[in-house]
Amino acid sequence: MDFGHTLEQTQLRRDVLDFIRTHMTPEVYAELDATEEAHEAGKGERLSNKRGPLVAALYQKIDDRGWLGYSYPKEYGGADGDRVSQNIIEEEFQRAGLPISLVGSGAPAIMAVGTEQQKQHYLPKLIKMEFSFALGFTEPHAGADLAALRCRAIRDGDHFAINGQKMYTTSAHHATHMYLMARTDPDASRHDGISIFLFPMDTPGLTVRPLWTIQNNPRAPRGTTYGDARTNEVFFENVRIHESCLLGRENQGWRVGSMGLNLDRVGAARYLRSVRRDEDIVNWVKANDFGGYAPKDNPAIRDKIAELWIEAQVCRLMTMRSMSIVERGGNFTYEGSAEKVWSPEHGVRTTEAITQMLGSYGTLLNGSPHAVEKGVFAHNTMGAFQSGINHGSVQIMRDQVAKRGLEMPSMRRAKAAAK
Amino acid sequence: MDVLLNDEEQLVAASAREFLEGECSTALVRQMEEDPIGHPPELWAKCTEMGWTGMCLNEEYGGQALPLTYLGLVMQEVGRAMAPIPLHSTAVTSLAIQKAGTKAQCQSVLPGVSEGKTILTWAFSEQDPRFLPETVKTTAVADGDHFVITGKKLFVDNFAASNQILVACRTAPASASNAGLSLFLIDSTATGISHARLRTLAKDQQCEVIFEQVRVPKANMLGGLNQGWPIMQDLLDLATVLLCTQILGATRIDAEMAIDHSKFREAFGQPIGAFQSIQHTCADMIISIDGGELLAYEALWKMDNGMPAQVEVSQAKAFCNDKCPAVCRNSQSIHGGIGFMMEFDLHLWLRRVTAWSMRLGTSYEHRERIAHALLDMPGHVVLGQPVPVEN
Repeated sequence: MDFGHTLEQTQLRRDVLDFIRTHMTPEVYAELDATEEAHEAGKGERLSNKRGPLVAALYQKIDDRGWLGYSYPKEYGGADGDRVSQNIIEEEFQRAGLPISLVGSGAPAIMAVGTEQQKQHYLPKLIKMEFSFALGFTEPHAGADLAALRCRAIRDGDHFAINGQKMYTTSAHHATHMYLMARTDPDASRHDGISIFLFPMDTPGLTVRPLWTIQNNPRAPRGTTYGDARTNEVFFENVRIHESCLLGRENQGWRVGSMGLNLDRVGAARYLRSVRRDEDIVNWVKANDFGGYAPKDNPAIRDKIAELWIEAQVCRLMTMRSMSIVERGGNFTYEGSAEKVWSPEHGVRTTEAITQMLGSYGTLLNGSPHAVEKGVFAHNTMGAFQSGINHGSVQIMRDQVAKRGLEMPSMRRAKAAAK
Repeated sequence: MDVLLNDEEQLVAASAREFLEGECSTALVRQMEEDPIGHPPELWAKCTEMGWTGMCLNEEYGGQALPLTYLGLVMQEVGRAMAPIPLHSTAVTSLAIQKAGTKAQCQSVLPGVSEGKTILTWAFSEQDPRFLPETVKTTAVADGDHFVITGKKLFVDNFAASNQILVACRTAPASASNAGLSLFLIDSTATGISHARLRTLAKDQQCEVIFEQVRVPKANMLGGLNQGWPIMQDLLDLATVLLCTQILGATRIDAEMAIDHSKFREAFGQPIGAFQSIQHTCADMIISIDGGELLAYEALWKMDNGMPAQVEVSQAKAFCNDKCPAVCRNSQSIHGGIGFMMEFDLHLWLRRVTAWSMRLGTSYEHRERIAHALLDMPGHVVLGQPVPVEN
């Protein structure tokens, strides 16, 4: 058991924090906000992953230090570093509001099963944040039960023709590429006829339409860490792609996809999303009062804050456990799913508890007079629970803990056995 | 950073489990609930022969100088087996002596602990059950080269079996800068000591101990005059986190019994474990236990590495207090009526986990300690970085 960091890792965190203090200027934040607003205002027009000059220069400086894709091989643009260090880097940039994490990027799955050509084509640019994938999983009739997906890819010689629809495709309006899960063999069993394809968003026949969420209206302050105002639906009409776009083998997509999602459920970005408000409320409560009434002197609030803090530590420790497993080269049996139950639900508990600490002030959104911390807590109440839904709901995750971790019987098999 | 057990740690845990599975049946556990000293000397002798009492003592005192995390792993197995042995009070008190005692004190007490000849315990709590120095009213008054001790202590673990007891006494009024406490190591059979066994939910060995004009040589004072509180605080922190590992060991087997039961018990034509309501309950049970373990072992690891761990200890205990009894109640619920039968073993764990969650600090006390560190100390708080603590 070792809960500590090496001297090098501690120094790395200091270096990253120094870099952030120096380089994350108000001008950089303003440019990040402006780019996001432009993306959202796109209203159907597909924009590339473009960024402003300041942010582009910033990514270059971060890359010069070798901090992007730190644990990826040098030949693909990484630094051959260890995952714990990569997590330290991602954690601090996430806190500072500049996402550099490769969690959810498709990179882990490409690294695991991609062809040499795919690795060389995608990894360096994913690492440099020049490419990004929109994840085409969910459909109108296939959410939690993803294996029910209907989007079809029909082989035509060395090409595939894709027809169908995807929903809640979050970054489809600014991603450069599509990471698509489609059905290639409708006669096979549900899980066996699925394949994954990687191809550019500007492939003819692909249309993106906006869906507007209940979040970010008005725009939440940077660092609110939950959800975007915009997500999308994506339509495929005879989208023709070459067979070299297959990630992994044909009809093996379920395995690749679940593996990618598993890796997606852990890491600094996800755990910080669940615990950021704990830090915020502690630091706000210790330094502020409402005209003489200091919530920090309220014993009920003190007790609740400590309870939330303990839960947040468990989020952190479960992430450390997941990283330890990955670092040892092992696979999760249930640990990733356990983390994906505990952390998002903790995030919701925190968010709700905070509303009861702030009372009416907790309703004030960004830009409102008297808003607390630019309304971050109010915005969060409309976003926190989203984390318990996306990338596998907490109910699905509990199923996985029970079935994989505890080897509990499946209802379907039990029923079949009863007959 | 690698929070999983390494090979050696796995071996320590596995061999402790194997040993206790062979030597400590639930029949023995039940028998010892009615026993006046509460432990079988043969089992205790075997445990001490394996070196459990000397695990973290220095080699010069016959110990093995292993990390506290190892002792935590053993205590977890002790909790799992509910082994009726006075290991917790002996280990915790001996480590306080090793840390704060003079060379002479260590040499006179600790080799006996390693050899298994000496059973130790400590006495802190009185009528006011909080773990604050002002609750101590028992007095120690200097009289020549002795102190004379008078007062009444409660919830003293393993007293009837003990050879020596470390007692927190008031030697000065409490002030802002000094708690006014001193610690004395006293023979449990000294003239003027009497005791009464408390009947607890766990049916474990806890006593009220009364000190009437008990004379103790000055040489038996642990630490300096009026310097007892920081030593006692460290002792209580170690006792608390080791109790957490014990609670977690007991809670995990309790949950495992429910999971196993659900795979075989049939209702509505299928194993009840195929129902999602049962599956999700079991998933939450395991998540709670895993979370408690991570908190407890981080606290022990910090102690091993000489870092402050008060906040971490309180995190672990408050979490275990809330979660572990709830896990056991869920386990009862999954078992249904059988779980309430005296002859079925499940209640042995339920009663202990419930009782242990009330010992060594309530959830409210531990959370207030965390809130104090988070809210009353200067500085910006960052999760994952040390929280400022008072000493």
